[in-house]
Amino acid sequence: MKATLTTCPYCGTGCNLYLLGDERGQLYGVEPVAGHPVSRGQLCLKGWNAHAFVAHPERLTHPLLRRQGKLRPCDWETALDLVHCRLAAIAERHGPDSLMFLASAKASNEENYLLMKLARAGFGTNNVDHCARLCHSSTVFGLAETLGSGAMTNSLNCFERTDLVLVIGSNTTEQHPLIGSRILQARQRGAGLIVIDGRTIRLARHADLHLRPQNGTDVALLCGMMRQILADGLEDRAFIAARCENFAAFEASLRDYTPERVAAITGVPAQQLVDAARRFACADKAMIVFAMGITQHSHGVDNVRALSNLALLTGNIGRPGTGLNPLRGQNNVQGACDMGALPDVYSGYQKVSDPAAREKFSAAWGVPLPDRPGLMATHAMEAAAAGRVRGMLIMGENPLLSEANQGLVRQALQKLEFLAVIDIFPTETAQLADVVLPAACYAERDGSFTSTERRVQRGRQAIAPPGEARADWQILCALLGRCGVPAGYAGPGEIMAEIAALTPSYAGISYPRLEGTGLQWPCPDAEHPGTPILHVGRCSRGKARFSPVAYRPAVETPDADYPFLLNTGRTGVHWHTGSMTRRSHLLDREEREPYVEIHPADAARYQLEERRPVRISSRRGSIEARTRITDRVPAGQLFIPFHFVEGAANALTNNALDPESGIPEFKVCAVRLQPC
Amino acid sequence: MLKRLEEKDFLCLLERIAERWQLLVPQRMSDGSRLLLPWQGGLPVLAGPPLQRKPTEVFFPQLELLLELDDAGGVALPNPPEKPPALLGLDHLDLAGIAFLDRFFLSPPTDDAYLRRRRGALLVGVSGLAGAQGETLPPLEGECDLELILAPDGLLAHPHTARGTELLEGFAEAAPDKLAALDRNATELLPEILLKAARLLQEERVPEDFWEEIAARCIACGGCNFACPTCSCFGVQDRTFGKRTERSRLWDSCQLDAFMREASGHNPLGTETLRTRRRIYHKLVADPLRWGEPGCVACGRCDRACPTGIGMFALCEELVRTCDRHGS
Repeated sequence: MKATLTTCPYCGTGCNLYLLGDERGQLYGVEPVAGHPVSRGQLCLKGWNAHAFVAHPERLTHPLLRRQGKLRPCDWETALDLVHCRLAAIAERHGPDSLMFLASAKASNEENYLLMKLARAGFGTNNVDHCARLCHSSTVFGLAETLGSGAMTNSLNCFERTDLVLVIGSNTTEQHPLIGSRILQARQRGAGLIVIDGRTIRLARHADLHLRPQNGTDVALLCGMMRQILADGLEDRAFIAARCENFAAFEASLRDYTPERVAAITGVPAQQLVDAARRFACADKAMIVFAMGITQHSHGVDNVRALSNLALLTGNIGRPGTGLNPLRGQNNVQGACDMGALPDVYSGYQKVSDPAAREKFSAAWGVPLPDRPGLMATHAMEAAAAGRVRGMLIMGENPLLSEANQGLVRQALQKLEFLAVIDIFPTETAQLADVVLPAACYAERDGSFTSTERRVQRGRQAIAPPGEARADWQILCALLGRCGVPAGYAGPGEIMAEIAALTPSYAGISYPRLEGTGLQWPCPDAEHPGTPILHVGRCSRGKARFSPVAYRPAVETPDADYPFLLNTGRTGVHWHTGSMTRRSHLLDREEREPYVEIHPADAARYQLEERRPVRISSRRGSIEARTRITDRVPAGQLFIPFHFVEGAANALTNNALDPESGIPEFKVCAVRLQPC
Repeated sequence: MLKRLEEKDFLCLLERIAERWQLLVPQRMSDGSRLLLPWQGGLPVLAGPPLQRKPTEVFFPQLELLLELDDAGGVALPNPPEKPPALLGLDHLDLAGIAFLDRFFLSPPTDDAYLRRRRGALLVGVSGLAGAQGETLPPLEGECDLELILAPDGLLAHPHTARGTELLEGFAEAAPDKLAALDRNATELLPEILLKAARLLQEERVPEDFWEEIAARCIACGGCNFACPTCSCFGVQDRTFGKRTERSRLWDSCQLDAFMREASGHNPLGTETLRTRRRIYHKLVADPLRWGEPGCVACGRCDRACPTGIGMFALCEELVRTCDRHGS
């Protein structure tokens, strides 16, 4: 029996747990870490079952190579040579930008760093991205513009000191359960709670106010609240004068958002909007918590700007118990962004277009580097479908289920001349690959992860990988070596040393310093204790910037042919495309099949009973699911979780992209419904 | 007969145990908690916070192979462990949890898998000044083979079974007055607040909306069940590796929607309210009816594991407050 301290592989909360191994070298359980500041001896259901998928019989154990149309086992050298040769040949023939590299929010910081190094130094392209494109790219863009940093401004322990929590577009108790529990605890001790969500999520039961705007109308709602705050004179004049710029233009932009007009756009009664504005503005310390309900829109960046404006207007930045708190979905999506697994920046958000940054990385890596930002993941799929991207390496992602408009993604991946996938299971995406490389999962390799509160923590190897599976960092080193880029790292600790040397916000981070409970970046030197709260005294960009926004509707809204608004998201028991949770017995038993939430009035109109199979269709695709009749959803709206390959919600969703962040509009498209 | 154990004697005792058992002892983890892990030599951490993980997991692990099937219809049971386990450092609540599970799994029809792990196991308890802040833990009364007693001037040992006596052979006797400085009064297992809550439940005086209010706070993590030393519910999974199928069982949680959901979709425990009420009723009403004792040993693990403050103690405190309010 052995207990290995590590970081949970699921959401971005950053809980720590002990993986318990038996004498056969197999995991048999999980115990929460009592002395950890985030987990505090507690876990959610996924965390308690974090061991369950590891020994699943479908784990990939040998490299696979497509021969005569079938994936067949081969040896590592052959597989690695082939991946390198085919990608290099495509780059040679069509230019490096005909390649695309997808990193992973499930992989470690070190692995994301190596993958972006492989794309840039190994193959000469900035075409590298990962699934943050699908979740918080709007946040990274929006907050970087207004504050100078795209990350969560405050820390999870701020929930203990806040006077009011505004939760908008985050089903926190289901998607970040341990953060949701902090909100419930804050509520218990008397803090205020405003929930803004079209669905009656569980947290709404506890709220002082629950506003239910129509999906896609948040900009109007938030502008209405801010206009009301100004009308009531509840803004923080001193903060605005001392810390902000561009207030006049912002103030002028709010003129038209009267409560009545906002009510007409959003469906939120005018009085509720006024109440929410007053409650929020009157709190001395208010935290804004948001997630996919804000970001996954064709105007996701505008949503984030509006939230940022609201925080600035009321002086809720740079103090304990306040802040803009985007909850990052995956255990290392923050880290994957920090590591520069993005098309426009190196690690630490140093721009590829900045000659000084480029020169620094070029000197460190010993090769010239491309200067033009690369393709976003979503644009890369469009480019692949159009034949402009011809080769792709995907590490630990399953875009066939996770990206919007599955038909387009399938067409894109099938059209590639060469697709290599590194993964732990034969995902739907891996099944389209020419080469599949078997990876070690989180329990089988060392590395570091960065949580939603910017806490960099260790992941530790508890058991050996199955068969011939290798850690992603080892696979990437082998590919870097084949590209002629030296990669003789002894282990992830050495990779982190290189990251620290090149990345100011991680400069003080090293493996010995991560032995405790981790460090929150920025951590600029080896003595620095880390930074629990950003923008104290001054913002990362200097003055905070009010960024005026204007409401524009979602790209595709219900009409006579497609009368329902489709909302998509997750359930509490499953994780994204289900490759891990659907192979975990308790979690899979909880939700076994695709379902669609439908309001009782709509169900009655269509004469549908509970668990009735129905067909849901959009202009892009059609799936089957069983009804779940519930007033959690408003009338006229359907909600489908995207975990299930048997009824893939993303066969229906619209790949209408935010023009700045490239995020698809997962939260709004038009569908119709027919009984099967 | 009471013995006195110098440090070298204690190490000698550990070695004696390790010869015949797989010895598990409390070890301090980097976060300050203590876990029962295989003895690697040296002195175990006898005093400190309660063991983080319930010790009953040694006999009823979170995931356990039950049998293997081959495609010719052959059935193979897992190899028995080389040595039975010895659990050292159990307090009176840990031992009460084991006693409860023993009764549940070993009452006819006996649970073979539990018996396989439990048979021959040695239980070494701890009492005296072993609390987290040096407070005194109550004496153990026969629930273990051997009781280690942390006294102000050293470690004492008291056997409760023949095996315990045998293991302590040869060590120096201690005068009974060595215990005089310790409070050796047995304590009631259940604190007053739980007894009071149990009475209110038995008398059906808890208003329905109390359960709704509590259940609204449940985030269905299952932690209360997974942390509970007396929870015995499990699910079964089959996994096929080529020609071989592994049948395992794993901890289940009555707080999950699918725990009782039927194939038709009908669910006798289909709301959080029903599930929350059942968890408490089971422990404080049904178990006393069936076993003559509550299914809660008041170890506090569910309170520590619950992210939203509705573990047994917290819930019972609210329950009593609510009923007092209603009654007044």
